Amino acid sequence: MTAVAVRLVRLHAASRRLPAALVLLAACAAALRGTLYGQWDSYGALQLPLIFEAACAAVVAVTAGSPFGEPERATGRWLPFLRLGAAVTLTGLAAGALAAAGAGLPLAGGFPDILRNVAGLTGIGLLCATVLGGPLAWTGPLTYLLLGLYGLYTDWHPPTLSTPWIWPARAPHDLGGALCAAVVFAAGLAAITVRGARESPGG
Amino acid sequence: MTNVEITTPRPVAARRGSAAAVLGSGRLLRIELRHNAMLWLLPVAIALFWYNGYREIMALPPMWNLRAMTLQNRLLLDLAIPVTGAAAWMGSREGRRNVTDLVAVTARPRWSRQLATWAATTAWAEVACLACVAVVYIMTARQASWGGPLWWPAAVSAAGVPALTAIGFAAGAWFPGRFVTPLVTMAVFFGLGFGTQAATGDHSYWQVSPLTAGAFDIGAAPGVATFYPYLPDLSIAQVMLTVGLAVAVLGALGIPVARMRWLAAVITAAGLAAAGTAVALAGTGRLDPHGMIAIPALHDAASDQPVRYAPACSRTPIPVCVHPAYAGFLPAVTASVGPELTEFAGLPGAPDRISQVSAVYRQEPGNAITVGGGIPSATAFLLPDEVPGRLGTTGAEFAAQMDEGLGLQLASDIILGGHADSNPSQAQLAVIAGSVRFPPSVESRDLAPMYGRLLPQPGSPADLAARRFAALSPAARHAWLAGHLAALHAGRISLAQLP
Repeated sequence: MTAVAVRLVRLHAASRRLPAALVLLAACAAALRGTLYGQWDSYGALQLPLIFEAACAAVVAVTAGSPFGEPERATGRWLPFLRLGAAVTLTGLAAGALAAAGAGLPLAGGFPDILRNVAGLTGIGLLCATVLGGPLAWTGPLTYLLLGLYGLYTDWHPPTLSTPWIWPARAPHDLGGALCAAVVFAAGLAAITVRGARESPGG
Repeated sequence: MTNVEITTPRPVAARRGSAAAVLGSGRLLRIELRHNAMLWLLPVAIALFWYNGYREIMALPPMWNLRAMTLQNRLLLDLAIPVTGAAAWMGSREGRRNVTDLVAVTARPRWSRQLATWAATTAWAEVACLACVAVVYIMTARQASWGGPLWWPAAVSAAGVPALTAIGFAAGAWFPGRFVTPLVTMAVFFGLGFGTQAATGDHSYWQVSPLTAGAFDIGAAPGVATFYPYLPDLSIAQVMLTVGLAVAVLGALGIPVARMRWLAAVITAAGLAAAGTAVALAGTGRLDPHGMIAIPALHDAASDQPVRYAPACSRTPIPVCVHPAYAGFLPAVTASVGPELTEFAGLPGAPDRISQVSAVYRQEPGNAITVGGGIPSATAFLLPDEVPGRLGTTGAEFAAQMDEGLGLQLASDIILGGHADSNPSQAQLAVIAGSVRFPPSVESRDLAPMYGRLLPQPGSPADLAARRFAALSPAARHAWLAGHLAALHAGRISLAQLP
């Protein structure tokens, strides 16, 4: 990797507030670990990880916004790859940080659950960034969070939501839920790679 | 010499200035209402409530207490994300768009402008909140068999909205970064949704959470606020908390304004005092026997008087009377114990009618609460809290509970002659077992505690005799009992003599 490429990546990361996003992802992971030390009833234990997964996804999605807009698009052919790389890297780091936070503690669902939920929620966030802009990209993951929590709630109180599109309510190794989350993540990545976040006054 | 009071007329310019300020504030509010993020999030908020809350609330039996208390538990949580998010978004507007310095030179102080924006956001959020309440209450009014709207649960939800918007708005105004809106929204949602996890018992400070509509471990139960009025004690504390929080946060927004620093500080202190008082009051709560939280400092003794009502009674051989709020369950009650009512009507010791009594709730260590039925007898019965439609309870499960409760109580009282604690004969056990029709869902492990005391051991000769007796029609069983009940009481009937 040349120095120019490194500088390009560094500038792209700075323009998307990636350092701040990394700090916030670490804070989310630390908060998850802190809460896992607490005493929770069944509702709390199962629904708790989804809150932090949604927070991480919202952070990743918000970083998709560009403060430059048109001038940046005109500068070169590497921008789509930079967007793709930033989204994939942050999603991976978010899932890894949350999984590490749950290590050695009773984390409901384990790593498969975290990976599926973070990927799916991030996909929703990236799609929202494409449509609404980076600053409003959080609306998708946070709205879906409520649907996911309700899906988990119906596991106790029938009628259970059986659609795989509400994947947080499915078992961690459920293929249908994983496929739906993967499809949404892929769609979000494709959209943000090709089109980027919608331009908005707030960047 | 007369004193002449000279009054200086208020300058016309000053009067014009006051009127212009009011008009200006109104115009500013109108502009903020038209350009508010909450307006665009109204469909999201309403859709979330419909998906998460409304469907479940409407699936509950049409009882005001059940639906209103569940509404309080759901509505604010469903609104938390769109409302807090929109408020934080609006609060961070000047910072996000880098126009803070530009608008700082306008005639109005920053606090005044911020309050107008907050008021507009809150107004739209209240529209969503009140629309949800209205739909649920209108639908319930059309379906409920008794009672009227419970306004306190709705008031707590409505009072919680300004607190959500104030917290979100202040966070957005103080930290106008791109990550603040989602993070403060998540934090508020987490605090609201999971804030009651640490609660234990009826003295917990955590029950001041505006989502808590009653005692933990009971929540919205049919027996709560049916025979006795809904106690507003906890609701008053919750409204105090939410209003106090909103006032404190909005006051804190004004502290940086040099001219208004003292006023803002006083407002903040007053809000914090109200919120702190509310938390302290919630900590003095206790579970009253009727299933609600009573707070001594806020309690009105008049609320302890039972509600007057005309019972709804069945047209069965032995009338069964229930509280009119339960009128919708009367057919299910009579269907489940109808054969027993036909069989025992008119027999010596049989009641003229059977009336529902209120449950008695008692706090146990931790969050456990026992639900008792006062004095069980052949003339009084307790309807279980698990009525059809609540927490997924089916009609078959309800019928099983009725047979295990009312059916068995009625049969044992008549067959044993009111001496349930005596040692019953095998024939008496066989007749009791043959008279009560347990649905197939009742398993032997549910009945095991009653074997030898009220029911015969499975597979015993008495069990076989019970099956023989059960094969008769209710009228045939009634006819046999009419001729043999005295002998059965006296223990002069053997298993072989049973039909």
